[in-house]
Amino acid sequence: MLCDRCQKRDAKILYTEIINGVKKEQHLCEECATDYTSFQMEKPLLNSDLTLGDLLSTLLDNYTVVDKKQSGEANSTVVCSNCGTSYEEFIQKGRFGCSKCYNSFSSHLGKTFKGIQGAQFHTGKRPKGYITAGSERTMKDFTEIEKLSLKLQEAIEKEEFEEAARLRDFIKQMKKEETNNA
Amino acid sequence: MLKWYEQMVPDSDVVISSRIRLARNLDNYPFSSKITEEQATALVNEVKGVAASLTEQEKRKFYTCNISTLSDIDKTAMVERHIVSPLLAEKEQTTGLILSEDETISIMINEEDHVRIQAIVGGLNLEQAYQEADHVDDLAYHKLHFAYDEKYGYLTACPTNAGTGMRASCMVFLPALSSARMIQKLIEEVGKYGVTVRGIYGEGTKSLGNIYQISNQKTMGISENEIIENLKRIVSQVVKQERKRREYMLSVGADEIQDQVYRSYGVLKYARQISSDDAMTLLSQLKFGADCGLIEFDREFNIHKLMMGVQPGSLQWTLGKNVGSVTRDQSRAEYIRKELPAIINNL
Ligand SMILES: [Zn+2]
Ligand SMILES: [Zn+2]
Repeated sequence: MLCDRCQKRDAKILYTEIINGVKKEQHLCEECATDYTSFQMEKPLLNSDLTLGDLLSTLLDNYTVVDKKQSGEANSTVVCSNCGTSYEEFIQKGRFGCSKCYNSFSSHLGKTFKGIQGAQFHTGKRPKGYITAGSERTMKDFTEIEKLSLKLQEAIEKEEFEEAARLRDFIKQMKKEETNNA
Repeated sequence: MLKWYEQMVPDSDVVISSRIRLARNLDNYPFSSKITEEQATALVNEVKGVAASLTEQEKRKFYTCNISTLSDIDKTAMVERHIVSPLLAEKEQTTGLILSEDETISIMINEEDHVRIQAIVGGLNLEQAYQEADHVDDLAYHKLHFAYDEKYGYLTACPTNAGTGMRASCMVFLPALSSARMIQKLIEEVGKYGVTVRGIYGEGTKSLGNIYQISNQKTMGISENEIIENLKRIVSQVVKQERKRREYMLSVGADEIQDQVYRSYGVLKYARQISSDDAMTLLSQLKFGADCGLIEFDREFNIHKLMMGVQPGSLQWTLGKNVGSVTRDQSRAEYIRKELPAIINNL
C-alpha cells in the first residue's frame, strides 16, 4: 500500500488521531509519519524563542525613548568605566559588558527590569557568607523585616550570636503580627 | 553509580527529567561579549580549580575538560545528553566543563555567563535538582567570588537572567496532547503564568519524539522556591491533561493505538537502516504504548536512554568513530536491535 500523503513510498505506519471526537486514520510512510507527527511544532516554537531574544532589544529601546523624553538628554554618553560598554551598546545587544555595568547604568535599569522581568528587585537567594557592606544604597528599598533580616545575616557572619538571637525573635514577632493583621 | 536517566522514577510516563540551571559570573573578568581569549583561558582554569574541592566535599568524582578542544562527535554527544548547551559546544573561544560522574551536575564555563551550574534528575523532582545545584553553588562561592548585588541579585550577562539567575525546567513527553494538536494552545495557556514551552534541546531547537521543555521565564522579584512551586504547579497540570488525553485516546481507539505501537516495535526491531528522526518517532510510539500498558517487555527498559543513544553524536560516540549517514543509519538500526527487549506476548 502506498503512503496516503506522498503517494510515493510504501506506507508502513497506520497513524490514528482523534480530532474533535472524530477518528481519522492514515497510512503513512516513515518519512511522512515523522513529518506529520512532529505536529508543526518547529515554527511556533522558533517564533516564541525569537520573540524572547529579539524583542529584548526592541523592548529596551522603547524604554530609552521614554527616558530621553523625560530627562531631555541623550543616554549615549553613559559608559561603563570598567569595560567601556556604552548604554547604547547595551540596548543594541541586550547584554551587559561586565558586572560593573549594572552600577554604571543603574539610573536606567529600574525601568528596564520592570519591562523585562516585571520586577526591579531581587528577592531570592543571597550567597552564603556574603558581606553586606556598601549596601546602604538600596537599604531604603527594603521592608522593615527585610532590613532586620540583613542585620541578622550580618550578626551571624560576625558571630555576634546574642544580637542574632535578639533579632531573630524580633523578626518572628513581626511576622506573627503581620499574619495576624492579614 | 547509576546515571540520572538510568534510574526508575515516579511520573516518568510524562515527566522525563527536572533540571535547574544557575547563571553566575565572576567580578574580575568581563562578561562573554567583552572577554578576550586570554582572559577566557584564565577564567576556565580558575573555575576548573573548583572540581578538586567538589570531589573532596561531595562523595562523588568530578571530571573537568576543555570543551573547545574536544572532537565534534564528543561535543554533539554531550549536547544530546543535555550535559552542555548547543551554545557552549559551538563557541570558538576556550570553554570548559566540570561534570559529576553520575552526570547529575555539570558546570559550564565561559558560556553566555562565566559559570552555569546545572543539576538534572529523573522524573518530576525540581526540589532535589535545586538542592543539588544550590549546594554546588555554595561550595563554589567559597572559591569564586560570584558577582552579586543586594538590589539586582546575581549579575548576569543578559538582563533576562538577573536576580536568581535560575532557570528551572522539566522535560515532558506529550504524545497525546501533540496528536490532539493541543501544544500550541498549551504554549499560549502556560505563557500567561510566565512559563515557556520549547523543543527538546532548548531555545531554537525543534521538538523530537513529542518531547518538550517547560521552563520559567522570570528570574527577578521571585524567589527560587517560588519559581519551583510555580513551575511544579503548571507541570502537574500538564501531566494531568496529558494523562486525561491518553485515557480518552485509549477509550475511543485502543485497538488502533495498540496496532500502531506493535508496528512501531516491528520497524524498530527489524529495520536495517533508520534515520534518527524516524527512530525518535517510533520510540515515542513505543514509550506511549509501554506507559499505557499496551505492550510489555521481558525486562526493565529505559526508552529515554535509547532516545539519547540513537542521536547522531551519541551513536558515533558509541561507535568510536565518525561515519557517513548511510553507515550511521545502519549502525543505528543495529544498535536499536541490540538494545530493544523482547515483547511478552500475552496481550
Ligand atoms: Zn509518505
Ligand atoms: Zn561594564
